[in-house]
Amino acid sequence: MEDPARRGDRPQGTLELLILKTLSRGANHGFGITLHIQTVSDGLLRVEEGSLYPALHRMEAQKLVKGDWRVTENGRRARFYSLTDTGKRRLAEAETNWALVAKGVQKVLRFA
Amino acid sequence: MRELWRRLGRRFHPQTAWHEEIHSHLTLRREWNRAQGLSPGEAHRAARRQFGPSLRTLEEIRAAHTRAWLDNLLGDTKNAMRGFRRSPVFFLIAISTLAIGVGASTAVFSVIDPLLFRSLPYPRDEQLVSVGYFGPIDTNEFNVVSSYLEWRRLQTPFQMLTSMRPASTCDLVAGGTPQQVACYGVEANFLRTFGITPDLGRDFAPQDDLPRAPTVILISHRLWQQVFGGDAQILGRTVTVNEEPVRIIGVLPQRFEMPQLGDWDVLLPERLDASLPHSVNSNSALRTFARLREGVSIADARDQMRPLFEAGLREDVPAALRVEVRLMVRSLRERQIHEVKLASWMLLGAALALLLIACANIANLLLARAAARRRELAVRAAIGAGRGRLIRQMLTESLLLGLAGCVGGCGLGWVFLGALVRLAPDGLVRLGLAAIQLRVLLFALGTSLAAALLFGILPALEQPRAESLIGWRAAAAAPMALRRCLVAAQVAISLVLLTGASLFLRSLWKLETQPLGFRPERLLTASFTLRRQRYQAVAARVAFFQQLETRLKTIPGGGSFALSDSIPPRGSMGRPYSNMRIAGHPPLAQKGGLVAFRWVTPGYFQALGIAMVTGRDFENAERAAGEPPLILSASLAHRMFGNENPIGQHIELDSDGRWSEVVGVAADAKNSGIDVIADPEYYRLRMNDGPGFGGTAVALFRTSLDEATLARWVRRELAAVDPGIPVKVERMEARVGRFTDRPRFLASLVAVFAAIGLVLAAVGVYGVLSLLVAQQSREIGVRMALGARPRDIAWRIQGYAGIWTGIGVAAGLILSSVLTRLVRGLLFDVSPADPSSLTSAAGVLAILAALAAWVPARRAARVDPVVALREE
Repeated sequence: MEDPARRGDRPQGTLELLILKTLSRGANHGFGITLHIQTVSDGLLRVEEGSLYPALHRMEAQKLVKGDWRVTENGRRARFYSLTDTGKRRLAEAETNWALVAKGVQKVLRFA
Repeated sequence: MRELWRRLGRRFHPQTAWHEEIHSHLTLRREWNRAQGLSPGEAHRAARRQFGPSLRTLEEIRAAHTRAWLDNLLGDTKNAMRGFRRSPVFFLIAISTLAIGVGASTAVFSVIDPLLFRSLPYPRDEQLVSVGYFGPIDTNEFNVVSSYLEWRRLQTPFQMLTSMRPASTCDLVAGGTPQQVACYGVEANFLRTFGITPDLGRDFAPQDDLPRAPTVILISHRLWQQVFGGDAQILGRTVTVNEEPVRIIGVLPQRFEMPQLGDWDVLLPERLDASLPHSVNSNSALRTFARLREGVSIADARDQMRPLFEAGLREDVPAALRVEVRLMVRSLRERQIHEVKLASWMLLGAALALLLIACANIANLLLARAAARRRELAVRAAIGAGRGRLIRQMLTESLLLGLAGCVGGCGLGWVFLGALVRLAPDGLVRLGLAAIQLRVLLFALGTSLAAALLFGILPALEQPRAESLIGWRAAAAAPMALRRCLVAAQVAISLVLLTGASLFLRSLWKLETQPLGFRPERLLTASFTLRRQRYQAVAARVAFFQQLETRLKTIPGGGSFALSDSIPPRGSMGRPYSNMRIAGHPPLAQKGGLVAFRWVTPGYFQALGIAMVTGRDFENAERAAGEPPLILSASLAHRMFGNENPIGQHIELDSDGRWSEVVGVAADAKNSGIDVIADPEYYRLRMNDGPGFGGTAVALFRTSLDEATLARWVRRELAAVDPGIPVKVERMEARVGRFTDRPRFLASLVAVFAAIGLVLAAVGVYGVLSLLVAQQSREIGVRMALGARPRDIAWRIQGYAGIWTGIGVAAGLILSSVLTRLVRGLLFDVSPADPSSLTSAAGVLAILAALAAWVPARRAARVDPVVALREE
């Protein structure tokens, strides 16, 4: 049987990059990640919960992140994700990629 | 194996974590919303709004990715397995409970299936019937040769009508050693009527059945194997049966059974002879069977046979018996099982009741689990799992339980069946065919799955509530009522079982302690039959018995000794009461059934311990000559003479002009089984000049010798007179004990079921109350904080138990009073409404329920208010 964790695996560059970046500041739970991205982007980027958790689980299956249950400052249980070494390498790659892609896209846009 | 579990666990971990994670997300979001200044309700709704739609989409996407239901089923199955793995205790309790229920009913089913349901081993068995006269003489219909010959000539409803003689024992000599085998004389068309052909050789031909044809026999598969070693060349071989050379013409299939289920080894031609005098043929008994014509029902056959029956009744049945004899046409199955049918259904009912109790227990367990998982289900519902999806998940779980229970149940059923077969009394119909077969497995599977659906559907129907997402404790109340109903139902059913058990046990106790009219202890019996040709002559028999009697009397330590032709608690087939006449009295009433009789030697009453009421015992001096004197049983004396003194009266017994003098009256002794009142009976003295010396005799010894020693002596003395007469020595107690085998078997089986049911019901009460205490620990804490004493709390819990047990007991009493009436026919001297059985059953149940409630009640009383209140 197909591994359900890997099912529908396709490049999700942007969201993955945003998650990796957010987690590079330290372990955080899903809601924290949403909140962080939304706040830092001044509300420009709104992460869909519906895609966030599948992405997180997929990344966990690829060993980019590692999840474990901890207690928040407010005493609530939540699943905290942190970067693995693979994750850190992937972040570096993705940041470079993103810079290249962004530069490329910008050039195309300017040309058109 | 563990690796597999681990891998399964890892693979599916994300999915559950997901639900918990989403729940945690919702909580965090709600709190954040609160912090933003929203009201609690608004914060909650907003959190769901912000989350809901996208999650629904998510579930849909997932569903779209999944390949249809198979994947869902696989997922559900693995989900369920994970659930079971998480709570192995729950799993074990549920499975073993179910296995007990299924095991018991499977074992019982496998015993009664060949009786009630499986088709008989004859082609088109539904066409086979038994037909004949039915009267008080026998529990089965019979026929006489003269009537049968007429019926055979004139009958219309049957394709074939056939007959067989009653069982007899033959001496078979094949090679060296003579042995006793079971023989039946059957008509030439006997096997054809049943649609059976020999495996080897040929069937009887009409000419074999002619009065003076050379004798040919068919033998059973068993005899062929055991005596002839399965010799393929056996056909045409000559052996000796009852000192006559006979030729073997065929071997019957192994699966062939006699229509009345008798053991058999040899079939001989029956050789009815119409040329014999009517008085002979009308006194010669037969069993008659028939195959109905196509499209003729049993009722039709009965109508069509009526005129022949009426005619036969006038010709062949003594006037005294006519009023009590009727025509019987019934299916072969009914003929075979009518004696055990009620008991079979009763046992199946008891086993199914046990299964129901087990189901109630499992439903309770599943409900309790569902309550604990309510949050999980609510989350799943919230993220868009449809209602049907959740119900399916629950049902998958219970079906899996059902399957596991089925496997366990089959295993247990096999064990139970082994025990059942070992415990079963001899002659339990078709017990040999009881086995865990495909049909039985299907039955087990059917009952398990039906049970699974029954107990799975209840928790599944509960609507998941949105509130469960937040404060799940609040929503716990509703199914509690359902669970209590289940407990009440359990109590009710187990009360029915318990009442049944106590009725059967009381009935058994009464049966075993009733006065028999004789004392079986220290009484040994030695029975034998003279079969040799030369004993056909009365003089030879008299000589044999005189010699033997002298020898047996002198056995050292033999104690009181007597010889009889039969002994209680059975008797000879009786003679009509109305045949007798008293000298100088008006004729006796025409109705009056049968009177048993025996031929005995002096000392019979002393040996058996039967008390003399008036008059005296027989004396040896009386045996020399004259008419044999007579001793009446008390009930016969009362019936014939009322308050008149019977001693010295003269009675004509057989309308033959011979008058016997009554010399004594003996107390009644059981003579037609031990579960009915003794028939009236008279005893005649075995005279030296012949009368009374039949071929069969029983020697009685009231002695302190042990069985083996006496058997040795008796065999030696018997051999001294005539070597080669097999003798059976038995303790009278064992002989009488056999009559209670069946009631004892029934009673112990029902008692075991009731005990298991009781334990299961107690577990049910315990489980529900434990849960109640766990759920109410906060409330209990509050009460205690407000000053309630532990004792009050404990009483409160006991009160709960009391109410629901009480309702169950009340329902059970009503149910019992209805159901036990159905088994009236199985009870001896106990009324189905026996108040002491009902009250003792209710009492036992109430006490057990109180004990089961005691532990949770104590736990409730020990709740620490501080801990309980801090818990939430």
